[in-house]
Amino acid sequence: MAGTNPLIRDRDVDFQLYEVHDAEQLCKLPHFAEHTREIFDLWLRSAAKLAREQFYPAFKPMDEKGAELIDGRIKSPEGMAELFDAAVDLGLITAARPESVGGSQLPLTVSVVGYLYLMAGNSGAVGYPLLTAGAAHLIESFGSEALKATFMKRMYAGEWVGTMSLTEPGAGSGLGDITSTATPIEGREAEGAHHIRGSKIFISGGDLDFRDNIVHLTLARRPGDPPGVKGISLFAVPRLRPSAGLEDPSNEDAGEGEIAVEFNDVHTSQLIHKIGWKGLPSLGLSYGEADDCVGWIVGEPCRGLSYMFQMMNEARILVGANGTATASAAYHQSVDYARERKQGRSLDPRQKTKEPIPIIEHPDVKRMLLRQKAIVEASMCLVMTASRYNDVAEHGANEGDRKRARMILDILTPITKTFPAERGFESTSLALQIHGGYGYSSEYLPELWFREQRLNSIHEGTTTIQGLDLLGRKVVANMGQSLMVLMEEIRADIEVARKDGVDEALCEAVKIEVARVGGLTQVLGQRGMSGDVLGMMAHSHDYLCLFSNFIVAWQWLRMAGAASRGLTEAHDPDSEAFYRAKLEAARYWIRTELPDNARLAELCESNEDSYLKVPDSAW
Amino acid sequence: MTKILVTVKRIPDPDENLKFANGGLDLSSVKWVPNAFDEYAVETALRLAEDVGSKKTKHAEIIVLSICPAKQRQHMTQFLAMGGDRGVIVDANDADYDTAAIAKMIAKVAQDEGVDMVITGKLSQDNEGNQVGQRVAALLGWPQACFAAEVDWDQGSNSLKVAREVDDGVETKQVPLPALVTVDLRVVLPTSVRNGINPADHKFTDGPRLASLRGITMAKRKKVKTVTPADLGVESAGGEKTTTINKPAARAAGQMVGSVEELVEKLATEAKVL
Ligand SMILES: Cc1cc2nc3c(=O)[nH]c(=O)nc-3n(C[C@H](O)[C@H](O)[C@H](O)COP(=O)(O)OP(=O)(O)OC[C@H]3O[C@@H](n4cnc5c(N)ncnc54)[C@H](O)[C@@H]3O)c2cc1C
Repeated sequence: MAGTNPLIRDRDVDFQLYEVHDAEQLCKLPHFAEHTREIFDLWLRSAAKLAREQFYPAFKPMDEKGAELIDGRIKSPEGMAELFDAAVDLGLITAARPESVGGSQLPLTVSVVGYLYLMAGNSGAVGYPLLTAGAAHLIESFGSEALKATFMKRMYAGEWVGTMSLTEPGAGSGLGDITSTATPIEGREAEGAHHIRGSKIFISGGDLDFRDNIVHLTLARRPGDPPGVKGISLFAVPRLRPSAGLEDPSNEDAGEGEIAVEFNDVHTSQLIHKIGWKGLPSLGLSYGEADDCVGWIVGEPCRGLSYMFQMMNEARILVGANGTATASAAYHQSVDYARERKQGRSLDPRQKTKEPIPIIEHPDVKRMLLRQKAIVEASMCLVMTASRYNDVAEHGANEGDRKRARMILDILTPITKTFPAERGFESTSLALQIHGGYGYSSEYLPELWFREQRLNSIHEGTTTIQGLDLLGRKVVANMGQSLMVLMEEIRADIEVARKDGVDEALCEAVKIEVARVGGLTQVLGQRGMSGDVLGMMAHSHDYLCLFSNFIVAWQWLRMAGAASRGLTEAHDPDSEAFYRAKLEAARYWIRTELPDNARLAELCESNEDSYLKVPDSAW
Repeated sequence: MTKILVTVKRIPDPDENLKFANGGLDLSSVKWVPNAFDEYAVETALRLAEDVGSKKTKHAEIIVLSICPAKQRQHMTQFLAMGGDRGVIVDANDADYDTAAIAKMIAKVAQDEGVDMVITGKLSQDNEGNQVGQRVAALLGWPQACFAAEVDWDQGSNSLKVAREVDDGVETKQVPLPALVTVDLRVVLPTSVRNGINPADHKFTDGPRLASLRGITMAKRKKVKTVTPADLGVESAGGEKTTTINKPAARAAGQMVGSVEELVEKLATEAKVL
């Protein structure tokens, strides 16, 4: 495997963090006041090193030989134990958690870059620490002190691992149809103990061999609770339960050291064979086969889905980060390959040589590279934009700032999840294409990234679900106020880009989209309000694509602004080239991809509905 | 407690292309990184000091020393984040001083701090001088063991057994403390460093450890003392001067030859080496 792939380019990280997103500004907020650029840089250096020297070399071997199911237990991929230890030592699990729970209180804007490096190195391997962080975060936010002491502390310390256990065979996108049950255990109501029964499917990292215990954050329904989404509760269900019940949080050393545990009747029923992410097995889990599975309720009954929704923004940003990271690794590989592979002669009559030239000199190969660059870097920018709004939404200086950021983040989330996944898939496909026949061969990496990337359109809510969320919920929420706030922000950024000297035509093109998106949202909203909900929502995908193109154009305008500023101060040819390339990528996006919005808007406005008209029997 | 002084240096990122200007290197836009051999030196010290059975027990205090502009000390923070206990910075542009002057500063700090061991990288990757460690040992009048691949600390006899990389293999030397060690690449293999307390077969993670997030935030709270060369009695930059640094001439394109005969012919007539 070529060792030279940077996975994510350090120079791009600096550009994004300090020239586009002004990450140092975040250190002025009280919550981040302990941090400095030096801390950010040193940690990211460690993360990059870990990604390049340990996670990435294990990537292809893990794909070739993933996890195995042997006698009901999972044998984790070779080397996973060391990678998990290293991620724990690095501080990955608690990077963004507050000091009060032993975290480092890093802004998500910065910690997400650490995740990006590791995801680009090995998506599956970084899944374990990130899932553990997500599961423990649920307990931190909603769980009792006893749950925090018993489970959260050990998970944040990396001693126990966590999963998200939502999906069932009959309930994927529609989690309201969950059938797993939780029956209160008589006499143990105060601790919130329930007997859990049911089956889950696709649970990532649901069993492993490098830690003893796994805590499944599980959705289930209690008897008598309302049907549908309103009757779902959240439970912490460990594979091994503490024999003496939950720990007493008032004990000073609660949550530290070993405690006696016993089997909790959680079984691995199935290892799903799949096309990627083989380092992180997807499992069928079966709870309570012997009626002896105990789960502890997290928070209030019937709030399970609403708790999940509160964590959704962050979880979806991470999927977007994965899409970005995967596309980035593939992009860099294809740049390398295009420089080295010689094929064909130059079309340029001034070229004297009659030898084959590196394919990077062919215009159409350049087109494929620039499209990747435009997608990868905008995805990265988008992920960081969303992360920054997330930081301000949670830790902003005042309620006004926090609320504004929350409104914008809510709209950006489905796009941050979807764009890097969908366009990132096209981007990895181009990386494969640049490798020609070798790209189709499993001796080379692009087909692996291609397979890995495909998941990002499916998990954490499919692309369809994101489209429904954007059009049906986010842009119409609070009478369109969130959308207005977002548009204000974008308009202000267009003016900043103008002042920075970005090409007027590009600024104008984005401005036109502000009006187009606003107008179209009204048209579709009114169609829905007038009773034609199907006519509105049938265009949710068109709308999602159009909105994404627009949001990405905004990202490119911001990057173009930063690049223009950088150019005025750049003294060496390398930095000049760096900034010029950014300006060209911005131009590419706005001139080549953004115009598709006219077509998409027309489809929505004219209510083009061919797919609804095909008779069911004719498919 | 035993004190170990580790010397560290920042260098232009060796993975990046060098830029030349006016008969020297253009360092204006360079990315500074820690010298890799100094990472090995710090890792060696950490392994000597560590008790793998108990995080709270330590067998040595590790003092990290760097000669660098006081404001550009990110490498110092990194080494403190890895686990160094405190730092000393000699506020000066190290490139302005020759190796003899640098060695004098280090020797003086070692004396002032009363350390038992000095550990340095075998060389710095920028100019590959390979002189500083040896000079410091001479100035201090201490035994030295250079190019260490393995280090065994016998706390009972207060000595180090050092396996050194030499041209024809590995040579083992026993040096009484105080002593100076310069380290080579293999010293960071999982079982290369032993302190007599940790189980002899204990496997450390391969390579120098990464600075963890917790370590980095804690490093900010560790003490770093700043002194000047004059404080250390070094008034002159030394006698060595760099006249110019130029890019080596580009290598001419190679030739493909059709046969062994043609090769021999060309070597004899064109290259005139036969
Ligand atoms: C590798 C992998 C890892 C996973 N990890 C986890 C995990 O750790 N924990 C966990 O709980 N789950 C996990 N999942 C499950 C994942 O979240 C679900 O697969 C996903 O939510 C889709 O559900 P489904 O598979 O049942 O598809 P379905 O919901 O059956 O969807 C099938 C198709 O119908 C569409 N569709 C569904 N509903 C609607 C609707 N209302 N309107 C329009 N179209 C609709 C979908 O978009 C999709 O195209 C994982 C899945 C995979 C493949």
